[in-house]
Amino acid sequence: MATTAQPTTTPARRQKPPSTTRPDGFKTIESTTSPGYNQPQLVARKMWLPMFAMALMGWAVGFILAIVEAGTDRADEAALQTLSHLVPAFMFIGFLGVFSSITFAVARILGAFRKGGGEVQETAGSAVQTLKMPGTAKLMLGLMMMGMMVMAAGIITNFIGAGFGTSAADLIDSASYGAAGSGLRRMGVALYLTGITFGLATIIEVLRFQAIRIREVAEQHGHAH
Amino acid sequence: MGAVMQLAARPRAAEDGTKKSRYRTAGLALAIVGLMGTAVSVIGNFTAASGIDAENSYGETLAWTFGLSIFSFGMIKVAISIILMGIIVRLWFRVDALKGSLALLHGDSDDKKRTALGTTDTEWGKATVTEAPPKLLPIHRMARTMWRPMLAMGVMALTAGLISSFVWAGETPGTESFRQAAAFTQGVEFLGEAMLLSGIAFLLGTIMAGLREGGGEVQSSLGLPITTLKMPATAKAFVVLMMMGLMVGITQFVLYLVAIGAADDPASFSSWSNWLGPFRELALGLILAGIVLALVTIGNVLAFQFNRVQQIIRTGN
Repeated sequence: MATTAQPTTTPARRQKPPSTTRPDGFKTIESTTSPGYNQPQLVARKMWLPMFAMALMGWAVGFILAIVEAGTDRADEAALQTLSHLVPAFMFIGFLGVFSSITFAVARILGAFRKGGGEVQETAGSAVQTLKMPGTAKLMLGLMMMGMMVMAAGIITNFIGAGFGTSAADLIDSASYGAAGSGLRRMGVALYLTGITFGLATIIEVLRFQAIRIREVAEQHGHAH
Repeated sequence: MGAVMQLAARPRAAEDGTKKSRYRTAGLALAIVGLMGTAVSVIGNFTAASGIDAENSYGETLAWTFGLSIFSFGMIKVAISIILMGIIVRLWFRVDALKGSLALLHGDSDDKKRTALGTTDTEWGKATVTEAPPKLLPIHRMARTMWRPMLAMGVMALTAGLISSFVWAGETPGTESFRQAAAFTQGVEFLGEAMLLSGIAFLLGTIMAGLREGGGEVQSSLGLPITTLKMPATAKAFVVLMMMGLMVGITQFVLYLVAIGAADDPASFSSWSNWLGPFRELALGLILAGIVLALVTIGNVLAFQFNRVQQIIRTGN
């Protein structure tokens, strides 16, 4: 008696293709078609421009506030105290935007390699080998997220500092918040920059892999074969 | 000097392109050192933040943490530059690999009509179709020449700034000499940062030059008409932003030297500092914005080139 499959309400879980380690040490995933962009690359393709716009807006506001601060009467302690925190906060909203945008642009380049490399192999009639996301790429994402969080903490510290009054105790607290905020912001910059370094290092490995792979495809599927 | 000129040079034909990149290893190691340097300066900042009171402003501590952190950023930027040199070298290996492989993989279309010479529209913008490989644009040649001096001057300015920050830390907070040292340190360190970022921007320009030259070389080696993307608007905006950023970077240094002259008057010096701080950051911001657009351009050029490679494999034209 023939059996019929029971209808199911939950869709089957998409299986991840198994990765293999090639003799040259590269970990790859094999498929019949180009895998296209991965999730972080899709996010990067959408987000680089909004982050870029955020950077320009942050710097514009920060710089205008700085001009206001420079023109403020030196006796107006309350205004000076507030602006001394708001200016770096807005300037670093700009830096948060631009460093995120750079990281996304690097991920976008990696996406071009992943999609294009797969399509070239597919067009040549070969099985498509794609580099499994290298550790350096994962570190890029991790460092970017850490950089964003640490820098945002620095910016928030400045916004809190902007709310202090002008009593002696408040001014001391304001100076403490200023020192802590600048430390956090700088750590954020360093984390972002290190993440970008790791992202660019990934490009070197992708280029090395693709140069090897295209020669293999030509040997297996070229006219001389 | 010869070794410096060999950095990022096109590898010889006999060189093994399958080996791991030394640029990558050196760049990553230097970036980690830079990150650790920043961590030390941040610990200094937190120490100061927890200790500030009515008697002690911790101005000396904040002086050397400023110097060290900006110097550490510079180290990471040098690390990025080293990695970019490695990418330039790898792109040449890619050109050689594509030339050899496409000679075996190119298709043989029934339609023997060759692509018309002139201008054509592509998904990535306007492109030109020529018989001969396109020449490099002046900005490409400038980028190839300028990245070395920019990086060298950037490192020198940052080193001077780091030393100056220690001098600043040795002065008594609130004095004229303290303010003078502060102004010089901030000006020279951000001049160094602007130069390093400009060096990175020129390296990105060198990558674009390599993509243009390499793309032409691959198509030319197959006897095909050469399709090259015209300079996109993002690349033009990159050049403008980078040049503006570098000019603002130099201007802020000059203005900090002017501010040294106002250091005898704390109120006037304070006004100068209020806007010069964001102004110097704006210099870096402009160059960084340019770098974003350069990376976006490179991504588009790569997508265009992958598409062209597929076209050659499919049709041989």
